[in-house]
Amino acid sequence: MDTRSALALLYRRAGFGASSSELSQASALGFSATLAELLGGLQQADPAADAIEVPTMLQPPFYEPKSLNTPAAIAQLNQTLSQERIALTDWWLGRMVASNNPLKEKLTFFLHCHFPTAISKVRFPAYMYRQNQIFRTLGSGDFANLTTAVSTDPAMLIWLDAGTDRMPDPNENFARELMERFTMGIGTYTEFDVRAAAFAFTGWHLNNATGQFAIAPKLHSNTPQTFLGHQGITTGQEVINIVTRTSACAQFVVCSVWSRFAYPVKPSDPLVVELASTYSNDRNLTNLLRTVFEHPNFLSATTATGLIKQPVEYVVGALRALKIPAARIPAIRPPIMNALASLGQVLFDPPSVGGWPQNEYWLSTSAALARWRFAHQLALIGDVSLVADSPPASRVEAAGELLSVTSWSPSTAAALKKASVNPHTLVTLALVSPEYVSN
Amino acid sequence: MTDFESSETWPTDEVLGEPIEEDVDHPNEARVGWGVDRRKFLALAGGLGTAGVLSATLGPRLWEGFFSSPSKAPAPLKLALSPKPAVSQASSSAKKPLILVTLYGGNDGLNTVIPYQTSIYESNRGTLAIDPSKVLPLGDGYGLHPSMPGFKKLWDAKQLAVIQGVGFANPNYSHFESMDIWQSGVPGEPVSSGWLGRWLDATNSSPLKAVSIGPTMPTLLTGVRVQGAAIPPGKLVLPGDSTEQLLFATLSQINSGEPQLLSEAAAASSNLIQLSHQMGPTLSRTATSDPLHLKDANPNSLAANGGAALAIANGGGGQSTPNVLATQLSIVANLILAGAVPQVYSVELGGFDTHVNQLTTQERLLGELDAAVTAFVEAMANTPQGNDAVVMIYTEFGRRVSANSSAGTDHGWANNVLITGPTVKGGFYGEPSDLARLQEGNLVFTTDFRTVYATLFDKVLGVDPKPFLQGSFNSFSMV
Repeated sequence: MDTRSALALLYRRAGFGASSSELSQASALGFSATLAELLGGLQQADPAADAIEVPTMLQPPFYEPKSLNTPAAIAQLNQTLSQERIALTDWWLGRMVASNNPLKEKLTFFLHCHFPTAISKVRFPAYMYRQNQIFRTLGSGDFANLTTAVSTDPAMLIWLDAGTDRMPDPNENFARELMERFTMGIGTYTEFDVRAAAFAFTGWHLNNATGQFAIAPKLHSNTPQTFLGHQGITTGQEVINIVTRTSACAQFVVCSVWSRFAYPVKPSDPLVVELASTYSNDRNLTNLLRTVFEHPNFLSATTATGLIKQPVEYVVGALRALKIPAARIPAIRPPIMNALASLGQVLFDPPSVGGWPQNEYWLSTSAALARWRFAHQLALIGDVSLVADSPPASRVEAAGELLSVTSWSPSTAAALKKASVNPHTLVTLALVSPEYVSN
Repeated sequence: MTDFESSETWPTDEVLGEPIEEDVDHPNEARVGWGVDRRKFLALAGGLGTAGVLSATLGPRLWEGFFSSPSKAPAPLKLALSPKPAVSQASSSAKKPLILVTLYGGNDGLNTVIPYQTSIYESNRGTLAIDPSKVLPLGDGYGLHPSMPGFKKLWDAKQLAVIQGVGFANPNYSHFESMDIWQSGVPGEPVSSGWLGRWLDATNSSPLKAVSIGPTMPTLLTGVRVQGAAIPPGKLVLPGDSTEQLLFATLSQINSGEPQLLSEAAAASSNLIQLSHQMGPTLSRTATSDPLHLKDANPNSLAANGGAALAIANGGGGQSTPNVLATQLSIVANLILAGAVPQVYSVELGGFDTHVNQLTTQERLLGELDAAVTAFVEAMANTPQGNDAVVMIYTEFGRRVSANSSAGTDHGWANNVLITGPTVKGGFYGEPSDLARLQEGNLVFTTDFRTVYATLFDKVLGVDPKPFLQGSFNSFSMV
């Protein structure tokens, strides 16, 4: 892989794609220095993204239960929350579009997918914002600390009913999904471990008045449990400490990261096992990302053709490529939200605790139409001057520059060539080409 | 002449107008915690389309080239099961529509078809036990959940089959692995093809033969070579002028030797062209009608804008909540009544993972299911296209027999499967799981779930079930 292609790949995976000028700058720096810069960004502020104003949101206590006693009052609250949710989505999309530090937003998005939590149940945008900030601020550090922070945060407490675990028959929802979906993966624990963990999490709840995590002593079981071979376990924190230090967790996290930044693998893949032993030294996600991007298998054909863009990556990547400023997002919200909704990936609202699947899942007939509609509209309002200002004979190449696609297949090239009289059509088609749809 | 429209939609500055359901009016309810809940994006997708519509036409001859071009099929995927192709359809009689209703999250079957006269039920369920005086009796000591009066009518008309004790060996407590087993039709080692996807493969079917309604496609319609199509709700209007549409088809061609995901992306676009060509006019024509008649309002209100076939019905759910299942089934009904290409349809309803406050949540969801499915069966009855339609309703697992301390139930094992349709022979099938012989607190299956699939292959799709299922299973006689 030549340097420019390698850098284009790095920018697609560690960010949302690169502009032609970014690629030229990066080429001058070289792969290692560019990677160091992207990783360094994880520890730095992002002034361009931080300039996007955080919307005003209701804070806990969100309402007086007694005041919600008329249909009008309920409707009013619902409307407020619905408007907040729209503003919060604008805010995050705006950050992704504006960011000069794209790996930070990309990692935040990855963690939203790793710890899927949906506003349809959490209800309060202020809580989704809080969780999102945990991903952004703690996501580049120790995975065990991150898991504790996410687990004791209101969004997760509400989402998996942890706040309702109580004696004598605690519900198993959080205990099971913590191990199955977030840390260890199915088949690495027993039903006894699920029960034991459920007992350890009893009493965990959200104080609705303050919006703070608390443990209710009266609801908490102090009966010592044997959990994953550890005896005398009585607290949820102990459970999190244990699960996040297992080798199963190391493989699960490595598998999750590799599968979303390079190409899909199974936890048992030798590559995962290899990386998991390094990861286990510190459980640090920045270091894990470095290991992934520096791995010889990363710069391979398997990686380059191994992922389809998630809808959010598709939309944000296209907005950035066509230079739509973040400030304009609220004004062009309908086509953006339409695209995300009809592709099936609404931010803050994953379909289940399993999150969003990958690759083929985004290649339905419906999805093809949704992408085309969005591309058609975006090409009308976006900046396609890079293509339009080129002579027709070199417009196909210019479209590649615009979208950071380094080569077109014969059928795509044929279609784009025929469209080169009309830059709008050409860019639309380039945006829906298999080469751009893949990541 | 192809009924081809193009939407030149300029993005407007209008604010997202569709209210997003927050359910603040049901603060104690377990909400859609688990399960694919499409309500939001259906609402979004339906509410935002604004279209100045331009018409463009393409002569049929122009299209022929696209559809007859060779090598449209995606490269074979590496999947575990690969039945031999070209199983012939057993009969040439009119095709019977098959509709799969997937309930995501694990519906509590014990509170759906309720053994309300047994004390074991009452003692295990405590406050979650449904009041026996409100249960809708079916006989044999069983009754339906009170929010299912429509299903009770179907039962009385002998059009509802209840298959009891359905499951598989080595049951799995994971939503995802259990659903994978159900949708692949293969217990044990996971395979990535679906039980109906393999039927698409084996019958060399078009992707339009088996479709889902909405953005994505469930595993059950994924074959090794052929993937079912996902039908976008609402009018099917392709963007761009005829040149753009023609070139879109050009770049949807598969290049030999290209990576698999690129081929699959091209195939999705190619399928879209095929969908638009074969079903676009029907979808556009029926986008404003609701054969389910679940709302008294002027049917034109259904198509207030863009894709608003979605805002169809409010079938017994919340106050202003569109019944998302009714919306999907309304689209299915339209397609069946119009004699459209698909024979198999997949629709879904999520939110059944009732670890907490099960009573209110399940009541609401079963009410939506009841309204939508019974209106659908009614719409199919006595129509030449729909009278043989068969609806199968299933979920990934049953729930634990004993309630937890959060007024909910945890993941469990065996469950009922419901089958209904105008010509289905109603009654109980299979053997109920023994409440006195639980394992790990769970119902043990008596009927292998593949028996249900064998029945559908045999009696609805008219093919020998064997090549699709590992093993031989006798069919039931309800179809």
